Amino acid sequence: MFDALFGALANLAQPLPFALILLGTVLGIVVGAIPGLSGAMLIALTLPLTFYMEPVNAIVLLIGMYVGSITGGLITATMLRMPGTPSNVVTTFDGHPMAESGRPGRALGLGISASFVGGLVSWVVLLFLAKPLSVWATRFGPFEYFTLIMMAMVLIASVSQGSMVKGLIAGFLGMLVSMPGVDPSAGQPRMTWDWYMLNGGLKLLPVLIGVFAVSQIIGDMVAIGKTIKRVESSMTGLFMSLKDWRDQAFNLIRSSLIGTFVGILPGIGASIGSILAYTSAKNMSRTPEKFGKGSEEGIVASEAANNATVGGALIPLIAMGIPGSVIDAILIGALMIHSLQPGPTLFITNPEVVWAMIASCLVATIMMYGVMMGAVRYVAMVMYIPRVYLLPVILVFCIVGAFALDNTMFDVWVMLIFGVVGFAMEKAGFPLGPFVIGFVLAPLMESKLRTGLMMTNGSLEPMFTRPLPIIFLIIAVILLIMPFFRSWRERQFRGRAAATTDETAE
Amino acid sequence: MAAAFIAGCLAVLWETRDIPPGTFEPLGSAPVPQGVAALIIALCLAVIAPALRRPAEVAPDPGYTPRPLDAAMVAGLTIAYVAMMQARLLDFAPLTALFLFVTIAFLTRLRLRAMPTAALVAVVTGWGCQYVFTRVFVVDLPGL
Repeated sequence: MFDALFGALANLAQPLPFALILLGTVLGIVVGAIPGLSGAMLIALTLPLTFYMEPVNAIVLLIGMYVGSITGGLITATMLRMPGTPSNVVTTFDGHPMAESGRPGRALGLGISASFVGGLVSWVVLLFLAKPLSVWATRFGPFEYFTLIMMAMVLIASVSQGSMVKGLIAGFLGMLVSMPGVDPSAGQPRMTWDWYMLNGGLKLLPVLIGVFAVSQIIGDMVAIGKTIKRVESSMTGLFMSLKDWRDQAFNLIRSSLIGTFVGILPGIGASIGSILAYTSAKNMSRTPEKFGKGSEEGIVASEAANNATVGGALIPLIAMGIPGSVIDAILIGALMIHSLQPGPTLFITNPEVVWAMIASCLVATIMMYGVMMGAVRYVAMVMYIPRVYLLPVILVFCIVGAFALDNTMFDVWVMLIFGVVGFAMEKAGFPLGPFVIGFVLAPLMESKLRTGLMMTNGSLEPMFTRPLPIIFLIIAVILLIMPFFRSWRERQFRGRAAATTDETAE
Repeated sequence: MAAAFIAGCLAVLWETRDIPPGTFEPLGSAPVPQGVAALIIALCLAVIAPALRRPAEVAPDPGYTPRPLDAAMVAGLTIAYVAMMQARLLDFAPLTALFLFVTIAFLTRLRLRAMPTAALVAVVTGWGCQYVFTRVFVVDLPGL
């Protein structure tokens, strides 16, 4: 294991991979720091440019962007109370009050250091867990895979923003959108409406760019009147002292582990990780009253956890080909574009790619710390780039990116349509994460189900008799029932409380 | 939105009704999209039913004046830009520069002070993209 890791690290020390990972990390930080632009958008837009690269170079560039963007959002969350990316929402609770009280450098320093530790802790877990998990996953049969994906879909929907039903609809819709074209199992065209352009189906990239980038641009255009107030940006107190490290050590480790664990769960992104770590830090704090008013523990918990989800989320991607987050779904697309099949066999078929992913996660985390500590004052200036100039330019990049996939304008129209669909879905409260993950996972899910049915002559029995499928199914059912049970209990509790109040009044 | 999803799913059910059953495998090509479409319809009905009973919630004040017409106008300009690109009326670089200049000019409400910057951004992006994408990434950009 360590030979392969050192080999990958040595490869990253070559000029081109090193430059690419540095470029990715810096771009990620910059894009993360611009309100309204997200890491998913940057990675989806960069994907077409990676066609011409070696797979390893493409992956290290994208992972650099992933790590950078999660951290870059910390700057706007702290300085403007405007999370640069969704994963930094919780950082606004304490980061901004601390910045407002005249200590922006301290708030950013805590956030950057916590992000660094979160990234390192999750990387250690990634290093030691990815391979054993992938070896275990090679024993999965088609029914194990089918039920695992089903469980992941329910899990994604149950933790997505808003109602679970809307999350499920979004996930199923993503699955349905992936189905037009010639069915690979039977060679039968379906859902093409006799239109030959649909025979090849809807490709991942135009759908991704549309849903993440174009929909975001439309939303930002609607909110273009929003003004950004300039704030004082003194950067004193950026470095944590030894005492700070000692005081925050337990919080850092706990939050990083929470973030890593949440990242491992399929489809759950950094936002949930940071919320859980923040709540846990508040519950265990000696000064919970400070939370929401500039608590150092709050910033540390949120930032350590959201960066830890990066390494955590790469574990199911590498080991099973299941995305741990939306960005991981895009990374799966990147692997497929380079003719690599994500999943447990990737360790055997393309070990250089897997080890490059693992090594680049570490290198990008270290680079992120260096870049942020050295240049956060200058990176913070990108927050003020006027969006009237920025958004049309990004729109042009989206169009070129979608076109470059196959040199066809059909993909550009698909991208524009999905941009509008994504914007309308977000407006109506349908989360986009389950949609994209459904789109990525549906072909795998369908092929596993059909392979399984071929093996059993159409019988679903193994799904209910084998241990793993039954466990995955039970978890899926529990996840489905839980929100209804919780709301029933809340209603009961409220009813009992109302009855007690009435009795007291009498 | 849920009603639109239902309409889309009904179209899927209609389109897949004639797909023959599988010959070499038990499931065939139709049941999975049909099942997913049916599930979406059921879930959409579960969203629509309570929404009909409850009055729509008033959205909180976003703290700025939303400009949906500006977004619609830019969408129109984008469609025109893509259609012109498809029709190959102009080369990629001048067409992109024109699109960017018009869009930025519109978004800045034709403020004269913003015009030089708009022109600079348009020209640099138009010809810069043409150079980078054709020379570095070897993309066959649409054009004359």
